[in-house]
Amino acid sequence: MNHPVWDLPWMGSGWIIGLVSIIHVSIAHLVVGAGFWLAFMETRAQRARDGELQGWLRGRAKSLLWLSSIFGAATGVGIWVAIGLVSPTATQHLIRAFVMGWATEWLLFAGEMATLIVLVRAYGRLSPGQRLALVWLYALCAWLSLVVINGIVTFMLSPGKGWTASHAMVDGFFNATYLPSLWLRSCVALALGGLWAMAGRIPPGLKVRVLKPTALSVVAGILLAGLSGWFYFQSFPAAGKELVLGNLRGATGLAEGFRWALLGLGAFLLPALLALWAFLRGDAFRRSAAVFGLLLACWGFGGFEWIREVARKPYVIREVMYSNGIRVEQVSGYQKDGFLPANVWARTFAASKGDTDLARGEAILRSQCLACHTREGYRSLKALTAPYSESDLVALVQSLRELDPGMNPYLDRMPPFAGTEQEAEQVGKYLHTLKAK
Amino acid sequence: MSPLPIPAPDPLPLPLPPGVLKALLLATFTLHLMAVNLGVGGSLLAAAHALRGKEEDRDLVRRLAPLLPASVTFAITLGVAPLLFVQLIYGPFFYTASVLTAVPWLALIFLLMAGYVLLYRFVDSVETQALRAFSGIFGTLLMLGAGLALTNVTTLSLRPDLWAAHAAASPHGLRLNTVDPTLWPRFLHMAAAMIAVAGLFLAGWGAWRHHAYARRVGLRWFLAATASQALWGTWLLVAQPKPLLDLLLNANTAPGLTLWIAIACGALALFMAIPASQKGAPAKDAWAPVILALASVLGMILLRDQMRDAALAGAGFQAAALPHRTDWPSLGIFGLTFLGVAALLVTIFRWAAQPPGSPDTGKELS
Ligand code: HEC
Repeated sequence: MNHPVWDLPWMGSGWIIGLVSIIHVSIAHLVVGAGFWLAFMETRAQRARDGELQGWLRGRAKSLLWLSSIFGAATGVGIWVAIGLVSPTATQHLIRAFVMGWATEWLLFAGEMATLIVLVRAYGRLSPGQRLALVWLYALCAWLSLVVINGIVTFMLSPGKGWTASHAMVDGFFNATYLPSLWLRSCVALALGGLWAMAGRIPPGLKVRVLKPTALSVVAGILLAGLSGWFYFQSFPAAGKELVLGNLRGATGLAEGFRWALLGLGAFLLPALLALWAFLRGDAFRRSAAVFGLLLACWGFGGFEWIREVARKPYVIREVMYSNGIRVEQVSGYQKDGFLPANVWARTFAASKGDTDLARGEAILRSQCLACHTREGYRSLKALTAPYSESDLVALVQSLRELDPGMNPYLDRMPPFAGTEQEAEQVGKYLHTLKAK
Repeated sequence: MSPLPIPAPDPLPLPLPPGVLKALLLATFTLHLMAVNLGVGGSLLAAAHALRGKEEDRDLVRRLAPLLPASVTFAITLGVAPLLFVQLIYGPFFYTASVLTAVPWLALIFLLMAGYVLLYRFVDSVETQALRAFSGIFGTLLMLGAGLALTNVTTLSLRPDLWAAHAAASPHGLRLNTVDPTLWPRFLHMAAAMIAVAGLFLAGWGAWRHHAYARRVGLRWFLAATASQALWGTWLLVAQPKPLLDLLLNANTAPGLTLWIAIACGALALFMAIPASQKGAPAKDAWAPVILALASVLGMILLRDQMRDAALAGAGFQAAALPHRTDWPSLGIFGLTFLGVAALLVTIFRWAAQPPGSPDTGKELS
């Protein structure tokens, strides 16, 4: 890529995104679901003139504010920090394409925070009608921000021919996976929000009144999420589907993480059983069970996100930009005229190490390979290349230049090597030196 | 010397003219900074008064504390927008700097979260006997650490000439931009300004609500912090690279003019704040220094932007020359959402400001 590379040894920088985003994405969906749950419960409580329930819901709103203002907002910034560090080129491309989308989402997020803050801080000044309006407005803002973000996330999986031609935001936004994904995410939000509610400290007298409707929404959310997940998968681009199925058969080396993701999908179903318990035996239900269920559901959701990312490999934006920030249309130019002449940071790195062949090889490897590999940790190049001799490695990297899937079997999981024959040789030679380390 | 390692900008055009984006950047940054001043500066003030612990101080803390978490929330929320616009306009500089100093930059979020948790602990303890002033202090320090992470990336992004050496010395992005002599004075200048502006807010609130003690100590905080700028401000000025310093010292240039007007406003505010902070001074005397000082802050925000453009022009970058193609449909969606959210905010803030116990409020539940 065009920018400098953050070389995070052993772990690989990609994991930072995974770590921050699993927390952020879970919280972000949770607060959407919790918003609707709160609005629904407040409506019920006011209809029934149930003061005890309203008092308890007030406390829940406060803890929702706590969660979303500390961890939701800060991890939201965290996502920006992480993707900018790990994939600066892609982040810049996405921002250029979607800044008005993010700006819109930001307005909605500001509305979300403001409604919740007013509800919590000015509770005593509000009439019941105003309180009800506020919780519904909060839920609406939170959901609409999902509506917006969903457009950008699904764009990366299925940008569509329209956008490639026009580069207009709306063409990328309403893409092939947009609606199924929105459905799925809304259902997941319902499940997570409900589980969060069940994990709260509920006074014994309220338990059954709270748990019955809440558990029902969790069960519904989980079952509907399963169903819409299937539709979502059907809407994947053919190559993405192929990639996921290939992983399912264990055909490619993505399998280790994939197994965790699949287990996670299974784990996502368990909370439905816990919720069933809460529905049937509300008085005996334990908070800790809901906490456990919530963690399982977050794991499952993380697994789902992971699979979605797999379906995008080896691209960040399918058919537009590879995971290492090289745009598809740049590959042939780099293969002809060289990668180093066009990439100032790879050149700077090589120069700092004396500009030898090995330094150039390492510089290109940092720019083109560290997005998915580390030298000796996660998806270790040292381990993967252990069986090969130096000349094998040179031949292997040179074969990665091949753009025909028939000739380059790696194209479904690795970008083509974007450099000249000679640059490929330099990378091959550098790979060989890893053995000694 | 080899050419500077500045990455090529993204090929997609900007969705709006650069001037408009720049205006949005400055507007959202100003809002962000005000919320930061109130949230972080205010936390420091509150914690300091909590430590002092006289009855009048405790009263002040009780009034100030409930505002703090919301201010920090707004500071974070409002911070995302300028972060976005900076990436949009100054992407090659911003990303390069952040990658080169990746670890301190990433620490930002952890500092924020930890600082925020401590702040909540402090605020929740205000109504109780066991006031947790130290949580407040540590929370503020952690948030100031987040500020340092931002200053660090910002200063580095303006110095492409330092990048190659920084990258070679710090391949894993561990280092701060300490080679740059502007890092520490710039941070201290910002930190002192936070205290000063928080003091101003306090003084303004005190003048408005006829709370003499708040007005007096607010102005005193402002005085002390602003007087210290003679040190940090001068240090920051002389630490500038030569071409930028020449610009600043010449009042015929736009940055030079902005600087001297802003300093004049600040100095005038300082002198007017001295009598206004005395016991028995009339409440309305607080307004002139408050307004002048805010004008000075706005001037400094403008100056900051002028200096950024001047520094990057030296590296051959012109924000105004970036290609754009206005994307009307997405602008329309944004505009409609803006109107909707603005109407929402006005409505709910009016609800929040209505007197308690108006005819149909639910007092019985609270
Ligand atoms: C989009 C992510 C991605 C990028 C970028 C990438 N790889 Fe890979 N690479 C993979 C995956 C996935 C595998 C399969 C791993 C496994 O089998 O465990 C792999 C496997 C390999 C292997 C082992 C092949 C074999 O048959 O055993 C080598 C060697 C390799 N990569 C080298 C590179 C080099 C060199 C680069 C940079 C030019 C690179 N990779 C860039 C994802 C990537």
